Amino acid sequence: MSTKAKAAAPAKKTPLAAKIFLAIVAIYLLVPFATTFIYSLFVEWTDILPSGFTLRNYIELFGNMTFWASIGRTLVLCLISVAITIVLLLLAMYVVVAVNRKLGRFMQFACMIPYALQGVILSIGIISLYTGTGTLLSNRMVMLFGAYTILVLPYIYQGIRNALNAIDANMLIQAAEMLGCGRFRAYVQVVLPNIVSGILVSSLLAESIIFGDFVLANNIAGTNYQNIQVFLQANMGKSSGLSSAIVVVIFVVVAIVTGIVLKMQNGSQKTAKE
Amino acid sequence: MAKTSQKATSRPARTIPFAGYIALIPFLLVIIGYELLPLAQLVIDAFIGKESGALGLENFIKVFTTPLYQQSIVNSVWISIVSAIVGIVVAFLAARFAYESSPRVRNAFTMVLNMMSNFSGVPLAFAFMILMGNSGVLTLLGQQWGIPFLADFDLYTGQGLLILYIYFQIPLATLLLLPAFSGIRKEWREAATILQASSAVYWFRIVIPNLMPSILGTLSVLFSNALAAYATAYAVVMNNYALLPLQITSKFKGDVQIDAATGGALACVLIILMVVCTLINNYFTKRASKGREIV
Repeated sequence: MSTKAKAAAPAKKTPLAAKIFLAIVAIYLLVPFATTFIYSLFVEWTDILPSGFTLRNYIELFGNMTFWASIGRTLVLCLISVAITIVLLLLAMYVVVAVNRKLGRFMQFACMIPYALQGVILSIGIISLYTGTGTLLSNRMVMLFGAYTILVLPYIYQGIRNALNAIDANMLIQAAEMLGCGRFRAYVQVVLPNIVSGILVSSLLAESIIFGDFVLANNIAGTNYQNIQVFLQANMGKSSGLSSAIVVVIFVVVAIVTGIVLKMQNGSQKTAKE
Repeated sequence: MAKTSQKATSRPARTIPFAGYIALIPFLLVIIGYELLPLAQLVIDAFIGKESGALGLENFIKVFTTPLYQQSIVNSVWISIVSAIVGIVVAFLAARFAYESSPRVRNAFTMVLNMMSNFSGVPLAFAFMILMGNSGVLTLLGQQWGIPFLADFDLYTGQGLLILYIYFQIPLATLLLLPAFSGIRKEWREAATILQASSAVYWFRIVIPNLMPSILGTLSVLFSNALAAYATAYAVVMNNYALLPLQITSKFKGDVQIDAATGGALACVLIILMVVCTLINNYFTKRASKGREIV
């Protein structure tokens, strides 16, 4: 009888067990960050409740020039690496779309390798190959940009490929060609404007991945060119108050970017459905 | 359809035949320079003996016979398997309950998952130090209230790392499993109820077998995710724990001399483990998509 009632009940209402379980998981996931956030706002926390509300940690952090320098470096790394990857992939995808479709499989394979490699292998491979060669390639910055370009390849590739598939780029180019337009011009003037929003979402995702990167920055550049994560790691042993403020800042930035990505994805899904 | 499009594209362009391929060159250069050659370099490092300088398996023999490296491989695989399994069990229940919930609850829960899936690496390690480190909030509470598990908890060991790894597996696993549940049809439950199947039978003989490709695919993603994780572990224990990524990195970026031979061999072990995972994942995602086509 009871099973019947359960099966017949509409799935709209949330069962109590579901509510409790989801709440426990959500709390479990939120507690570490919430603790860090509270910790950053108080002078000390040696009892059950923290004591002495203060914004000292944030004032100290925002007055710290090393902090701003590391934020600046991180932004430079994010923006330039993602821009390079987008340009490389857009050029390469032109060949796939307009010249030889068979290259699509090769592109997919080449762009999926970084998934399997991930940070550790990628960084030490690059260090091992280029350190001490004495050329421009042994410059730590050049190595780091190269590594980031590869790191975000899978994400941007998928974004561009999905966008190209969604608008049937091949047909658009053929149509433009029939009207007397060159293929490359058709690609730049007809196809690209149509996939900009698709690329934007995956680029933002890529930015947040580079923003959160520690492995590549630490292994390749280390203390020579501290990004925000390396800056955090260097401060962890020195001042836990300051570090907690850095963690909060990093989390807020990434959360905002993630929020924008989700909103854009939902928006595009809705328009696609309509 | 495919034929006609191929005809259209293979028609000679007005310009030089291979001009179209020029656009591929920058991409190829970067792929070769920063993806393929570094990989090749590691493999070459691995196969040139450290002592003898000759081509061979010397480095691999060393890796598999030195206790520290054996322990690293065992620890890495163990922490990856345990964190992946705990992650998938929690994720399965969470995804199941989220799927049964109202859209409002589900959206709020997915929002938490999305936000917290970004909370990893060094910030996560720091948060856990605040929480469960030597003078962490929970550790102090545990001492005051006499909870030995919290009071004596040591974050800076394998057990501590496991807690961290499980933490970052859960949101990822749930996000990966959630879409699979939309493939479960309401009619199946009704049909099962009409045929007098008990709730357990419904779950274990209908739902779980149906979700198996997604579950195993997710499991392999989680396994490789934990296997390659570096930042979290490094921030907690530095290089003072036998874990594959930590040992590999210390060979190339140590205060001591660089040992590319041993590092390369260790890296090859990690690559092989990762590739196996990726192949398993590909196999299951293909099967999962095939299954959906039939339905």
